[in-house]
Parts: sequence; C-alpha cells; structure tokens
Amino acid sequence: MSHIISVKRAHGIVVEGEVLVMREGFSPRYDLDRISGVISRIGHSVEGESVSNKILVIPTVKGGVAGGWAFFDLLYKKIAPKALIFGKLNPVMVQGAVLAGMTITEGWSEDLLQILNNGDQLRIDPEKKQLEILIK
Amino acid sequence: MILNDLELAMLRGDHGEAVKESIEFQIEVGSFFEAKEFVPITNAHVMGDIEVMGDGGLEILEKFASDKAHCRVPTSSNARCMHFGDFDNLKADEVEVKKEKKLIGYLKDMNIAQTDSCINYQTVYQPKLGEHVAWGDTGTVIYANSVLGARTNYEGGKASFAAALTGRTPAYGFHLDEYRKGSFLVNLETQLTDLAEWGALGKIVGHSHQDYSAVPVIDGIKEVPFSDSLKHLGASLASYGSLAMFHMVGVTPEARSQKDAFKGEPPKEVMTVTKNDIDGVFTAYQYKAGGNNIVVFSGPQLSLFEIQNLVSLFDGRKVHPDMSVVITTNHAVYSDALRLGYIGILESAGVQVLQGVCFYILQRLSDIRKENNWTNLISNSGKLVNTITAHRFNTVLRRTKDCVDIACTGELK
Repeated sequence: MSHIISVKRAHGIVVEGEVLVMREGFSPRYDLDRISGVISRIGHSVEGESVSNKILVIPTVKGGVAGGWAFFDLLYKKIAPKALIFGKLNPVMVQGAVLAGMTITEGWSEDLLQILNNGDQLRIDPEKKQLEILIK
Repeated sequence: MILNDLELAMLRGDHGEAVKESIEFQIEVGSFFEAKEFVPITNAHVMGDIEVMGDGGLEILEKFASDKAHCRVPTSSNARCMHFGDFDNLKADEVEVKKEKKLIGYLKDMNIAQTDSCINYQTVYQPKLGEHVAWGDTGTVIYANSVLGARTNYEGGKASFAAALTGRTPAYGFHLDEYRKGSFLVNLETQLTDLAEWGALGKIVGHSHQDYSAVPVIDGIKEVPFSDSLKHLGASLASYGSLAMFHMVGVTPEARSQKDAFKGEPPKEVMTVTKNDIDGVFTAYQYKAGGNNIVVFSGPQLSLFEIQNLVSLFDGRKVHPDMSVVITTNHAVYSDALRLGYIGILESAGVQVLQGVCFYILQRLSDIRKENNWTNLISNSGKLVNTITAHRFNTVLRRTKDCVDIACTGELK
C-alpha cells in the first residue's frame, strides 16, 4: 500500500522524481553554487550534492529574496530542481517557483525528514495536496 | 481573489501586456496564500541585478521595457552586483558588465529610480504607520514592518516588479492585522553596545525560529536604539530566520507595551538572552589558517553615521599589507561622505569604498575570493557572515572596533 502524506498548500503540476532531503534551512543565495547547481555551503547537510532535476525536501527557509529570481535562472541554465517540498516557506519561494513554473508545496502531515532519504522516489499531486512515496 | 474594475481591466490587457502579465503572476502567488483581494501600495523597491536574475531574468525585463512598461508608483532599485570603478581586485566579467548596464537601462525605461540601495528606508523613502508598500529586500522589509509600522511581505524577483507595474500586491501575510501580532517573547537581560551585538541577537533569535510567520517581541531595552542598531538586528533576524517583523517594547510603533505587541494574547514561547549568550556568538566563530584575509563592512550598506564612525577609527592608521578592507554604501551616502572628506580619509588608510553594491552579491565573488587568496572574512555584520557562505569564505563576526584593529594590525583576534 502506498504511503500518502498531505500538504497544507500546493501549486503546480503533478511531478514525480528523486528526492534530495535537506536537514536544515535553505537559501539559494547562502547555500547553492548557482553556476554548477551544487550545494556549496561548507557544512550544509547536503554539501556537494546537485539540486538539478531533484525534488528538494526542505524543512525551513533562510533569508532571502534571491529565490525570487534564482529558480528561474537555474531553469534557464538547465540545472533547476524539479520541485520544492517545504515544511515552512516564505513568499519568495512561492514567487520564485511560480516564475519558474516549478511545483511547490508547504506543510506536511508527517515529518518527512523522518521518512525520506536521498534517492527515494516521490510523486506530488498539487491539486489533491498529496505526496505519495513511490520507492524507498 | 476578488478583483475591482481596475484590476479586471489590467487582467484583460487594457493597460498593456506587461501589466497583464504582472497581475496574472500576482494572482497565482496570491492564490497560494489564499489572498482574498489586492491592496494598493504607495511605493515599490525592486531587486534586479544580473548576478541573481541571470539571462532569463534579463529577458523578462527586456520584454517589459519593449512593452513600454511604466511603474504605477514611485519605485527604487536595490543594491546591485558590481561596482563600475577601478578596483582591479574586485572586477566583474566584461560580458556581465555589458548585461548589467543594459539591465540598468531597462530600469530607467520603466521609470525606476536607480538608487542601488538596500537602505532605502534610511535614505530614500520612509513609509508611515499602516502604509502598504512592496519591497524586494529582506532587510528593507523587516525594517519597514517593524520600525516604521508599514506593511509589506518579501517581494522577490518578478514579484517586486509586478507590484511596481500594477501598483498593488495580494493582501496576505504582513499586510493583514492578524499576521502582525507577536508570537514569542524575547527577554533581553543585557544591553547591546555595538552593531555586531545587535546582529548576534538577531542570530540567536532568528536561527532558532526559522519561520516567516513568527514575530518576536523583544523586551528589556533600556535606551532607545539608533536606526543603525535596528537595521543590523532586522537584517540578521531576516537572514537567519527568514523573519519579516519584530516588535521591541517601548521602541517600535506597534509595541507600546507587551500587551499591545501580543494583541492581548499570551506568548507561545518565552526565551531569555543574556550577556553570555551574546558573547558566545562571538567565541563560536573561529579563524582558519592560511591565505590572506578581508574585513568587510557591508550587508546592509552603511549609513552616513556608520561611515563617520569608521572614519574616526581608521583616521591616521593604515590597513595591514596582509589584509584587505571593503566598505559598501549607496550613491547618496557616498556622495555626502565624499563631500565631507570621509572617503578621502578611508582611502588614505587603504580602505576600498564601493558604491551602489552590497559585498555578498558581487558578481563572480567565488572567483574574486580565490584570486585574492582570501580565507577569513571578518565583519561586524551578523547578516553578512551568514549570507556569503555559498562562496566558501570562513566568516568571523567581530565588534566594529575589533574589526578595524584586525584590519590595521593583521592580528586575527
């Protein structure tokens, strides 16, 4: 039986893909090398990992207005993540995701940091406000 | 969202393609946050530079400009990513310089005042209590909400441009009364004397509360803080916690008392910050060995009084040969500082003063770090030591006078 998790808010299209699970807050300005798409902040929980084509699972945000342009810039450079799954977000992440046509959700009914690991497969259905774990 | 006649006309395209595209974008964002309507704004502040928006963002502005887009409200621009001066050690890519100049041309076409400032609230426009604005820089947003009692959310990227073109923004978050009440209490059991200590307080409170909807209520302030102190506190809270508002009892306009700040409700949490907590922030930063080092006063840009203070600390001294020192400010403050002789004193000491930029957003900063062989970046800005880390500096927070002493002696203390 599949594992379904509800989210509080969602926007975008149905997306499936591999997750990259961050264990701390995220800012594309503070944490990401926006030329290579690799997490470059020293000591970040996913330092050295690429965000390209991944579903990012992010508990909280740090900063920052950079996300308003940054996701669209990453898309333009063909190194954008596929979707953003936030525990708590700020408006900039939504503004940035809408501009980039990227699926985004906020709030989760179970603690995804306890459930998901890097490489797990996830399906996001924004209209139903649901996440489905496909492969663990 | 319920739209009035003007907004419906914008959506139909009666006010041009750029306005139509902008309000469509705003409706999508507003719908995510279940905004019921728009709220008119009096002022917008846009963030647009080539480092953060890239070629894709530049194309959007190019299209706006070709559509004859024109701001509906007075609009200023945030700090940008390159200084067009002669500093060889801080050079931007020539190709990107051309793009940045093109981008600035589009801003002018749209009637955006190119202030290149992240301290617009100190030098450009000060909205009043209850006034709705749409500002696109976190430090400006938290200052507007907290210190001025104005109302704005973070308006990043295209959102700030859209607000400038439509003269409105979706009514959610900090535009609404219910969002603005305090959520947790911070009892401050020490008095803060340096800008770096205000940033340290912001780190302690913000890092432990990474939640845009959280609003700390800080109590225990004995003396009225300067604007620059609240600037550094706000910038740090926004940086570490993504917070957009704080109250300070007896200081900020919506917190005449604790009860006023919490709107009569009890705090969800109470935390205490002591002198040991503040000191602990400084001791937690450790130097790394090897390479050269840089002291930076930036993030946010410096006010005239911050520069005046640095002039008194650098006057008659020289920056150590193993050190670099950079100050950033906006054009308005730079012009005054030049007229008053401050820039001359700083440059005689070996300080580089950049105008219209903020250090952490400099284009090709990772390469600049490598070319200068910088290892440690020392600053009195709690925000800067957090925001710059993607470029792999080892950052160290120090008090203002200590930063100047480190710069002039080369001793990493």
